[in-house]
Amino acid sequence: MLRKLVLLMLGLSLMLTACGNSKSANEALTHIRLPMGYIPNIQYAPFYVAVEKGYFKDAGIEIEFDYKFETDGVALVGAGELPFAVVSGEQVLLARAQGLPVTYVAAWYQQYPVSVIAKSELGVIVPQDLKGKKIGLPGLFGANYIGLRALLNAGELTEADVTLDAIGFNQVELMAAGQQDIIVGYAANEPLQLRAQGIAVTELRVADYAQLAANGLLASEKVIAEDPELVRAFVGAFLKGLRFTMDNPDEAFEISKAYIPNFSELDANVQQQVLEVSIEQWKAERLGYSDPQAWENMQNVLLDMGLIAEPLDLSNAFTNEFVP
Amino acid sequence: MTKRFIPILLSLLAFLLGWDLLTRFSGIPNFILPSPLSVWTRFLKAMSDGSLPRHTAITLTEIVLGLIVGVLFATVVGYMLAKSRSLEKVLSPYLVASQAIPVIAIAPLLVIWLGDGILSKVVICALIVFFPVLVNTIVGVRAVPTALYDLMNSLHASRAQILWKVEAPASLPVFLGGLRIGATLSVIGAIVGELVDAESGLGFLLQLGDFQYDTPMVFVAVFTLIALALMLYGIVRMLENKFLKWQS
Repeated sequence: MLRKLVLLMLGLSLMLTACGNSKSANEALTHIRLPMGYIPNIQYAPFYVAVEKGYFKDAGIEIEFDYKFETDGVALVGAGELPFAVVSGEQVLLARAQGLPVTYVAAWYQQYPVSVIAKSELGVIVPQDLKGKKIGLPGLFGANYIGLRALLNAGELTEADVTLDAIGFNQVELMAAGQQDIIVGYAANEPLQLRAQGIAVTELRVADYAQLAANGLLASEKVIAEDPELVRAFVGAFLKGLRFTMDNPDEAFEISKAYIPNFSELDANVQQQVLEVSIEQWKAERLGYSDPQAWENMQNVLLDMGLIAEPLDLSNAFTNEFVP
Repeated sequence: MTKRFIPILLSLLAFLLGWDLLTRFSGIPNFILPSPLSVWTRFLKAMSDGSLPRHTAITLTEIVLGLIVGVLFATVVGYMLAKSRSLEKVLSPYLVASQAIPVIAIAPLLVIWLGDGILSKVVICALIVFFPVLVNTIVGVRAVPTALYDLMNSLHASRAQILWKVEAPASLPVFLGGLRIGATLSVIGAIVGELVDAESGLGFLLQLGDFQYDTPMVFVAVFTLIALALMLYGIVRMLENKFLKWQS
């Protein structure tokens, strides 16, 4: 009796394991868990649209959004546990510098999305105006720090010319409370929130001064080698969602609502602006295309910051092979 | 003395050997589980470039200050609660409820309220240390035998004399037990603060290691934190040996 029970449990667990594998049983779709690197947000509209419009399904893919930390997503892709992740450009080079076999297969943001935001009365109009100022940023790591360093470089300034103040992800609250006058944040987030609170700010967008590799799709070298058609299908479906969102922002906005918990509690006007600003940053002659110069520039910034020790072979870091 | 350390050394060696074998033969990449050798190499590099001692000193300062503040408050409040049942009735629901608040969730708010300097980290550390020391202070003071009070009263001892001659020594074993827990938890407190606004300290090194996929650095920071916790635990044990000799 006990033996039968054990065998039955083993059989059941095998069946369940089979169900959890990449092909879902009834529709033969390839199930992909996609680390997004951030919480559900209107900026992910192209992904939500690609699901709702059936672009992923038509490509034979079933997507499961996974809102884990960006670095965890990269590590899982590097370990070959997951095929894809949504990441920012610097992560690709930092990961490759540590030997992670990952490649960036499609650009989503064509502009590096970070900005330095200052209270209007300070008159910060160009990077040189930051000289001698105190700047609040989440920490001395991450995209905010890298964007700031690129901006300082553009203004021929160094970190010694400014005072950096690590404040966590409290930029808006601290600026609104009058504890910070200049902060680093995302062009499609902090400036919009501050203006919505009636705080007049000027904005220095990193993208206006430096062309850096920004957010896009990362793939493992394993999936590229073993299943390049899956990569092509995945990139193609995402880019269709991106194109649709850019051409039909209102419909994309409506579609995205269902994917963002507590959307009704958010300021709809601000959310609309977030999407508008994001779309500006996505524009490209050829959607998905990675500009080699942007990667060169990113590498130079990371080398300059000492975050990578020596130049990498950039031809392995990104590819335009899967971009239609 | 040497004999006492042999089992510890043997278990450590077995742990290192098991870890090394796992990284060699499991096929787990170095950025997921680095080998002991790569962690040791990273440790030497972080020591030689001065980054590890610098960040460790910052974290240790926060821990020590947090411990002092947390223990002082917990001892005073704990003593008051031990002596007054009515005060305990009023305050204990709040004190217990405060333990249900995940410190990691309110840490960003503390940084906003208290500023992003050392103060917010010390307060977070003190908050974590507070409860175990508080509970043990109450238990310790309440456990003082009534006969001792009777004796002191018969000798017309003052309140201060009762406190120093009876209550303090009698409650010390339980109090130091709480301090042992508080001291090891204080390490977590300092790190929580440093993770919120990463600029310096071992929490910053952890974040930087994570951001750069420098997993050996993450391990170095983690082992340093373990070493700090063990050191603090050892200091409390030494205090116990010194002040509780009379027990044995």
